[in-house]
Amino acid sequence: MIPAVRILIVEDDTPLAAGLTQILRAEGHAADVMASGERALLALQQEKFDLAILDVGLPGIDGFEVLRRLRAAGQRMPVLLLTARDQVEERVRGLDLGADDYMPKPFAMQELAARVRALLRRAQAQTGPKIVHGPLTLDLVARRAFLDGEPLELAAREWSVLEVLLARVERIVSKDAIIQAVSSWGEELSPNAIEVYVSRLRAKLEPAGVRIRTVRGFGYMLEEYKGA
Amino acid sequence: MPRSLRRHLLRLLLPPVAALLAAGAVAAYFISLRPASEAYDQALVDIGLALGDRIRGAGGAYYFDLPSVAERALRTDKYDTIYYSVQAPDGVQIGGETGLPAPPSMRSGADGVRAFDGEYRGTAVRIVALRVPCEADVCTVQVAETRNKRDRLARDIVLSSLVPELLIALATLAIVWFGVKRGLVPLEELCAQIKMRSARDLRPIDLGETPTEAAPLVGALNQLLVQVDEARRNQQRFLSNAAHQLRTPLAGLQAHAELALAQPVPEPVRAELEQVRAATVRTARLANQLLALARAEPGGYRAETFVPVNLRRTVEETADEWVRRARDKEIDLGFELEDAMVTGDAFLLREIFMNLVHNAIEYTPRGGRVTVRTGRRRARAFIELEDNGPGIASSERRRVRERFYRIPGTAGAGSGLGLAIVSEIAHAHGAEVEIGEGADGQGCRVALTFLAAQDRLAADAP
Repeated sequence: MIPAVRILIVEDDTPLAAGLTQILRAEGHAADVMASGERALLALQQEKFDLAILDVGLPGIDGFEVLRRLRAAGQRMPVLLLTARDQVEERVRGLDLGADDYMPKPFAMQELAARVRALLRRAQAQTGPKIVHGPLTLDLVARRAFLDGEPLELAAREWSVLEVLLARVERIVSKDAIIQAVSSWGEELSPNAIEVYVSRLRAKLEPAGVRIRTVRGFGYMLEEYKGA
Repeated sequence: MPRSLRRHLLRLLLPPVAALLAAGAVAAYFISLRPASEAYDQALVDIGLALGDRIRGAGGAYYFDLPSVAERALRTDKYDTIYYSVQAPDGVQIGGETGLPAPPSMRSGADGVRAFDGEYRGTAVRIVALRVPCEADVCTVQVAETRNKRDRLARDIVLSSLVPELLIALATLAIVWFGVKRGLVPLEELCAQIKMRSARDLRPIDLGETPTEAAPLVGALNQLLVQVDEARRNQQRFLSNAAHQLRTPLAGLQAHAELALAQPVPEPVRAELEQVRAATVRTARLANQLLALARAEPGGYRAETFVPVNLRRTVEETADEWVRRARDKEIDLGFELEDAMVTGDAFLLREIFMNLVHNAIEYTPRGGRVTVRTGRRRARAFIELEDNGPGIASSERRRVRERFYRIPGTAGAGSGLGLAIVSEIAHAHGAEVEIGEGADGQGCRVALTFLAAQDRLAADAP
């Protein structure tokens, strides 16, 4: 499971901020709300947060500017942008400025919770030694996998495919992206080979409730763990 | 009736030109008639002088002596009859016809000759009166001549000058006509240039090619274009802000409805909360659709800001969300994506996909199958959605493109805007919308085929 973390919510709309706080606390996290960019930057100087949920349309300095300044100050925590303006250019701008994810308002609370979990897991994988997904644990240092606490045998390619999927839970990972991530030293894997690795992974993981969905004609999606 | 500049110019130019030509013709007539007429008068004077030579007199008594041979010779003329009268200084008639009209007043020229018009024996005549010396005194000789020669001459002058005068007049009128027409060509070109513009093109008209005289007009038009463009942008900004401003409170509403649903609440309350949540989601979607519709209208976006967009990427970028939604309904959402480059508004092109895939998932029953395709067919980019749901009856395929139209008896709570938005965006991008059946005659297939760039240019031209 993901250990409890501290999350900064920067949102000036009081009802929405209250809703976000509740859902995050229900997930077992600590959440602080700041209603303006200035206060958020002040809080970031004084306290340490594991993740920030940042509204773009803030009064005063806007979310983009807060993001720019906190990245400029060397803050590396994952940032999830919330925006009322669901436009391509805005998403690109946010991601360019160093946001990790982007959600147009309004959104389902479950969706938000899932995104937060995915971001925390990714941050953990980058900084920590382990990736945890339901009953599945990947020890990145020892390069060993466990399922329900039992050691799980994974071939090198299977491990690579699983790692790519784990980095993007609930997101489609295209076959091309998997091929690029898994191939090395000039040898290119065929889409068929990827299908073989995925079906082997499924055989090993599905009995424990870890599901890899096929997105026809596109790729795969490792689903949120919802119990065996 | 609209005022025609050409008609106005012609109306101003043609009457004075015609009047000038007519006056010129009349003046020419008189100018050429006078010397000819004077020559005829001189012939009469010569006769008068010859007659004067025949006056004899002694001691205050005068008589006129003209042999009949000489008289016949004098009177011989091919065209006219000649009359004369000779009077002694005391006014007594001594020869010729009596009753010739007297000169209006006997104020004669330096040579004592006076020419005038009169009437004799019911006929118009030309008369010269001259004073001739007789003895130590002065006698008066009048010679009259009918006007046949003169009238003939006048007629000849009129006839011989009429044809060239008429030709000159016609040529002048033609020159004026074509000159006005040619002179107005730059204006007509300007007009054609403005007509050719699409309603979305609010760029100022190039003043470089405009005639100087039309520059103030074009300048004013450009100013208006700038104002319209500004107003359009303000309207868009307002619409965009309004639609966006709605979304934050809606997000709060949805958050709390969902949090309440997560509590252990009695079943009737749960059902009510579920309604609130669903209505919130619909409202948010409606706000987004209205924004899309406003942007797809003429004036809603700027054609000159269109950018190259690969529809394949558009689909790939938003596919996650739809795969998750399809999963909730156990629908198999699949993709067959090839590159499909079009030129357009990235936001609107994404709305095409969003609305089509939303409809497909909404109206396909649980366990169904939806496929998204992009690519090129016969050099034209396309995006296509196919499902195995209930389909759209052929009789409804036109109407479903209308705003707010929903097929009677349709389940769910759609706004009836989805396909209208798709149609308007397609229209704005020069794409054709085709609504038909799925592969085995079952379900629904909606395809948008975009005209190639060069075809679009041809289609835009009038």
